[in-house]
Amino acid sequence: MPLIIKDEYPEKLFREDGKRLDGRDKNELRPIKMEVGVLENADGSAYLEWGNNKIYCAVYGPREVHPHHLAKPDRGILRVFYRMATFSVFERKRPAPGRREKEVSMVITDCLKPVLFLELYPGTSFEVFINVLDADGGTRCACVTVAALALADAGIPMRSLVTAVAIGKIDGELITDLSGIEDKAGEADLPCAMTWFNEELSLLQFDGKMDLDEFNESLGLAKEAISKIYEIQLNALKKKYIEIQEEYSGGEK
Amino acid sequence: MMNIKRVISTIEKNYILSNLKKGERIDGRDIWQYRDWNVKSNMIASAEGSAEVSLGKTKVITGVKYDVGAPFPDLPNEGVCTFMAELLPLASPLFERGPPSEQAIELARVVDRGIRHADCVQTKKLCIKEKKAVYIIFVDIYVINYSGNLIDAGGISSLTALISSKIPEGKWENDEVVWTGKYLTGDTLVNELPIVSTYGKIGDIIFSDPSLPEELVCDGKISISVTEDKITSIQKSGFATFTIEEVEMLTKKSMEFGKKTRKDLNLWQYKL
Amino acid sequence: MEDEKNEPNEEPTTDNSEDVDEFDDEEISRDLVVPGETLTEDTKTFLPGRGTIFNKDRTKIISLNIGLKQVKRNYINVIPLRGFYTPRPGDKVIALVTDKNPVKYICDINAKDRGILKPKNTVARGKPRGYRGGAPDRQDNSTEKYKIGDILIVKVLSADRLNKPELTTVGKYLGKRRDGLVITIDPPKIPRVIGRSGSMIKMLKDLTKSNIFVTQNGRIWLKGENLAHERLLIDAIRKIEKEAHTVGLTDRMSEYIENEKKIRGMN
Repeated sequence: MPLIIKDEYPEKLFREDGKRLDGRDKNELRPIKMEVGVLENADGSAYLEWGNNKIYCAVYGPREVHPHHLAKPDRGILRVFYRMATFSVFERKRPAPGRREKEVSMVITDCLKPVLFLELYPGTSFEVFINVLDADGGTRCACVTVAALALADAGIPMRSLVTAVAIGKIDGELITDLSGIEDKAGEADLPCAMTWFNEELSLLQFDGKMDLDEFNESLGLAKEAISKIYEIQLNALKKKYIEIQEEYSGGEK
Repeated sequence: MMNIKRVISTIEKNYILSNLKKGERIDGRDIWQYRDWNVKSNMIASAEGSAEVSLGKTKVITGVKYDVGAPFPDLPNEGVCTFMAELLPLASPLFERGPPSEQAIELARVVDRGIRHADCVQTKKLCIKEKKAVYIIFVDIYVINYSGNLIDAGGISSLTALISSKIPEGKWENDEVVWTGKYLTGDTLVNELPIVSTYGKIGDIIFSDPSLPEELVCDGKISISVTEDKITSIQKSGFATFTIEEVEMLTKKSMEFGKKTRKDLNLWQYKL
Repeated sequence: MEDEKNEPNEEPTTDNSEDVDEFDDEEISRDLVVPGETLTEDTKTFLPGRGTIFNKDRTKIISLNIGLKQVKRNYINVIPLRGFYTPRPGDKVIALVTDKNPVKYICDINAKDRGILKPKNTVARGKPRGYRGGAPDRQDNSTEKYKIGDILIVKVLSADRLNKPELTTVGKYLGKRRDGLVITIDPPKIPRVIGRSGSMIKMLKDLTKSNIFVTQNGRIWLKGENLAHERLLIDAIRKIEKEAHTVGLTDRMSEYIENEKKIRGMN
């Protein structure tokens, strides 16, 4: 028997005062909180709260490849496992990974590969486990952001961090950082990620309808939002060390 | 403490054992002392109820979801409560991806039995219409960080998640479930508070709340679930054997532990 | 028990004092950098050293790791704060025997590949084998000497990117450990536990009356008088690990240990 209470889509996605349903301006990000080194057993780990999204990420590696036949003799492999908890969505998700999760895992893998030096670690694997405990739109962008942090925390040499954000279109207007309801009821969704060493896009997906001008404009918006998130990412990574430094340097640096 | 690997080094085993013989443990606890509990509830917005429980460095997150479905034919007026546990590979390099391992199934089963036989979840109240529609409650346990003694952490987190949950109330009208707009909360769902406690055994030494290195080297474990006055489930695992006197002693210990934990953690405070 | 002849009789002392303390207090700038951060745009004067790289157009030098920026002559290095162990020939490391077959032991050395220890590298060469001119025994051809689960201190004989590292247990301080405890810390922080010309380790040993053997792969073997001393030592090492990127660590650690001793009521 299906669930009886359904997601109700509101007719308008803007409030009367011109703000979005959660009270944000058009180009305002949700509150973002990041932390690194949260998991004891992993080589590198990070935790992210992005609005209602709650995501844990752990990195293991370089280590031996299991199963062995996946190993490449000339380079290391990166494997990302994006999984959602059964209670992270409105209707209980089945515990086994579905097609969507596998696709998102693949997209994130391809997004992170350009920043790593996989050719230096032949025959090994880097494994990135991402678990979404609570989901509210834009999880793939959040996962890219948190995975880059966890890789940096593991001390794996990287060309740069990767940061992602989604741009969308609701009620004919371009907005930054879609929430769950805006994603479902909106007209277009454009998740994109940027690698900072060359400032190029390494993840780009698009669903919906936009004309060319709108599309170009949204890429500009994305770059702006990504710069803001990058700052948070840098601070999260440095915070742990700087706090300890300041405690003992007695104020002089 | 030591890097987690499948092969346990001989010196570590000897080290733990020789210190236990002296009544000392590596992390400074005494034999019957538990690590610190830390309970948080309702931090997952999408779940009907949720809890994050840390026992030392072990960390478990549990979420409650519901569905409405047909009851089992032999229990036409009772709702269903199912438990699932997943040992996330991010929690430890010992955990692998893929379908639930034996350890995950054991964790879910032991927590399930402790709660089921205590009449903790009031399944009769989870019936909307006899033979037609009952609630199915899913309690899903996710292990975020593995540092020993998952069963106790899983038990407390499942209880807290159930207590903190808020499920829309439905009634049966014209062959259909209609939502009344009210909610079933923790006190409707949960009746008793079964507390599970786990003891490890190395050689002939028994201690409570095995930490990760202790759990990896111990010969066996025993988990005992108790309510206020009754034992509801026991699970012995590993190849250790327990004498009858030891089991009697441990059940008494678990009763004391249950009383103390129920008071210390005061789980009813998490009710919405 | 003739197979124990090659093992050290005295407890090992730290032998890694030749390692330079990379976190050298005077020279280190306390600039914390993260992957992708620009270290300099002056590519004419500076060259990328360890943990750094030119960008594509060679207009700037960027960091590859989270770590501390260091300028040495005209090289810019980043001393990593996090990372994994890469075996280099000559390193002394603590290994755990995880598997064996008739021709080799397989050891976990906390690196991406497991190390291989061949039986011929467990017996010193050049010594007479067997007793009083008797037939040479077959010790060096079988893998009977160590058991799975044994902790060995080994030296890396050869290591490169493609092949599994080869190990040996022949040499000073090398061999099986029979007691004590092994803890693991972040390998990049090992130099800090050793200190400049072994100063930190000497201090730890003196103050906690313990034996310590620090190895390059991030594992530390330790044995103290009793559990209280060992726990204090472990706490101290954890504190060093956490504060590896700060200045004046040795002095602060000796203060910390003296203090903790009073609090914990130890002599």
